[in-house]
Amino acid sequence: MGLIIWFLPLTLVFLSRVISNRNTLHLISASISGLMLLAAGFITNAVINNGVLNYNVFGGLFYVDSVSAIVLDIVILIGLLASIYSIGYLEHELAEGKITPKKIKLYYTFMYSFMFAMILALTVNNMGILWIAIEATTLASTFLVGFYGDKHAVEAAWKYVIICSVGIAIALMGIIFLHLSSVDVIEIASALNWHALLENARDLDTPILRLSFIFIVIGFGTKAGLAPMHTWLPDAHSQAPSPISALLSGVLLNSAMYAILRTLSIVNKNLMDNAFAGRIMVGFGLLSVLTAAIFILTQKDYKRLLAYSSIEHMGIIAIAMGLFTPLSVFAGLFHMINHSMTKSMLFMASGSILQKYGTREISKIKGLLTTLPLTGTVFLLGLFAISGTPPFSVFASELSVLTSVFKAGSPWLGAALIVLLALIFAGIAVTLFKIFYQQSKDLPQKDFAAKLEHNEQKLMSEVMRGETKITDVMRGETNKSGAVVLILLLVLITLMGLYMPVGLSDLIVNAQKIIIGS
Amino acid sequence: MENYFDVLSALILFSSFVLVANKRIISYIRTFQLQACLIALTAGIMGMNSFLKEGKIDILVVCAIILILKVYYIPRLLRKTYAGVEYKVEKDFFLNIPILIFICCFLVLFAYFSVPTIGGTMAGNVNIQVVNSFSLVLIGFFFMISRKKAIGQIVGFLVIENGIFITAMFSTHGMPFIVDVGVFIDLITAVLIMGIMVTRINDQFETIDINQLKNLRG
Repeated sequence: MGLIIWFLPLTLVFLSRVISNRNTLHLISASISGLMLLAAGFITNAVINNGVLNYNVFGGLFYVDSVSAIVLDIVILIGLLASIYSIGYLEHELAEGKITPKKIKLYYTFMYSFMFAMILALTVNNMGILWIAIEATTLASTFLVGFYGDKHAVEAAWKYVIICSVGIAIALMGIIFLHLSSVDVIEIASALNWHALLENARDLDTPILRLSFIFIVIGFGTKAGLAPMHTWLPDAHSQAPSPISALLSGVLLNSAMYAILRTLSIVNKNLMDNAFAGRIMVGFGLLSVLTAAIFILTQKDYKRLLAYSSIEHMGIIAIAMGLFTPLSVFAGLFHMINHSMTKSMLFMASGSILQKYGTREISKIKGLLTTLPLTGTVFLLGLFAISGTPPFSVFASELSVLTSVFKAGSPWLGAALIVLLALIFAGIAVTLFKIFYQQSKDLPQKDFAAKLEHNEQKLMSEVMRGETKITDVMRGETNKSGAVVLILLLVLITLMGLYMPVGLSDLIVNAQKIIIGS
Repeated sequence: MENYFDVLSALILFSSFVLVANKRIISYIRTFQLQACLIALTAGIMGMNSFLKEGKIDILVVCAIILILKVYYIPRLLRKTYAGVEYKVEKDFFLNIPILIFICCFLVLFAYFSVPTIGGTMAGNVNIQVVNSFSLVLIGFFFMISRKKAIGQIVGFLVIENGIFITAMFSTHGMPFIVDVGVFIDLITAVLIMGIMVTRINDQFETIDINQLKNLRG
């Protein structure tokens, strides 16, 4: 039953090649994503009740426990919302003449190949297959990053495919060393099996395992967007179509972090001490937050701003995982969920803004709340949420991460983190002021004509002085289905900040126990 | 038997030096092909060994895949991509060849002294095969950053992959079979996609010089 989650996206990849009616394709995409959500619900339910879900097919390859269930649910949920948002987004791009109907078919083919690769990565218990699936996510999403085919998109796609392929090749080196460290311990039939590796973790060859961990953190860290291997991330996130940016940021980064987490538990069990792995993770994490803070403060492009904010949050998660205390791992996993939802919401809102104004520059966006009342509000609240303002859920999890840092006995790390977070808050607040409080007297043509009849003289003199300009930016939402998605996400992140459902907290506690191994 | 592998690993390393010394795209595609032949030969010998001793054909199948994929298909694909892009013979590297070779020697020395410090199974006597294959990975990285043209980067990536593959062969006699096959599937897809991207870069920028790709910053 759970296996259906592999076949649903593959079905859509096939159907998107066959069906040429756009509307049917949109409908099938949304309904298959809905079915995937049902399947994920079934899997999560089984995991909550039984601990693990393991089928005896393909040599017991299908394996889901609480850790993978959490990340899998994020993937499926954001996937569903992005597919609904895509309908309005793609139709608008088509109407504007930016893409052809053929490209919509390609979009769905690659989007669902991408989804399949991520789902595969999260539902196997073999580290080798996990690596293959994560490399496949890069390959499937390259064309999505270069979707528009202009100079910038091609450049972003080239950097993306080269940097991530090389990064992931380093991770393969790590997987090989992981295999090497276990050759004498685990029989060949269950080689690279995560469960077998964890059970025999104490007997693995320690020096080689350490080397393997360094390679794996650098390799998968490239995909997770940890600095200094993050350079592909702002380019790819800003050039990709917005629903894809939402998927990249909300989902892909988590899948890569998940791979690091799996190795982290093996290494820490082997060393019986967190000092080695912890130092590496905290180092990369802090560097990521620092890099993000610097670039956010000087950012002129709002999609790149969001991309750097993703680097920041992956850094926070890396720090939380690196500390490896029960509280910090719990907080890290919770932060993963909250960041995914908030960031996907922001990227989707930024997509609507981009379609409206046709520019990514912060300084050219004026009077957002009057032009796009709903998206503007969501974007405003979302920016507050992502910078860690209560009552939103990111605040709750950031606070628990910080608490766990201080409780773990590293006050300097905590202090540094607080300073950097404050800097990032300042950077985002400046952007907010620029976008939302810059008064704009620009009028769309229709409104201009209506107003002209009222008080001709005053308006004409304002135009003469250059205070009022006539723009072709029309008021009102363009993406109706997208607006529904935005509101849904906003409600979700607000509720999660105030109240955590019992099922979810049980799931996270179980996941934390699996990772720490108690 | 180990002597043969020592020689083969040294030859593979030597082929990467030839690669670094190559000036033109066409010639480094050919050198890559030669390197792939050597790797296939290594896998073939290893495969025969394991077939005669344990009756397993896994590594022989891997050897056949290498022959089809790396010796025949990928070089053909690269040549086709190369033929499709406008390209005049011009200097393709940042430093001149003697300096490049010199740096590669340093990389091998680095591997020679750093790999034995890892301990574990390589402790005591230096395992020359692992040193050679690890050097190949490092040279692959260096090749990637020393070339300006997009196809050079693809070849660099392939050399890194070759290095990783023979590291796995020499240290663990190959990964589990299903993983090996999956890696090959990913590899061929990656090269296909990179080839298409090269064509697109050429369409947009009218050159495949990756130094021109600097619109996105900050």
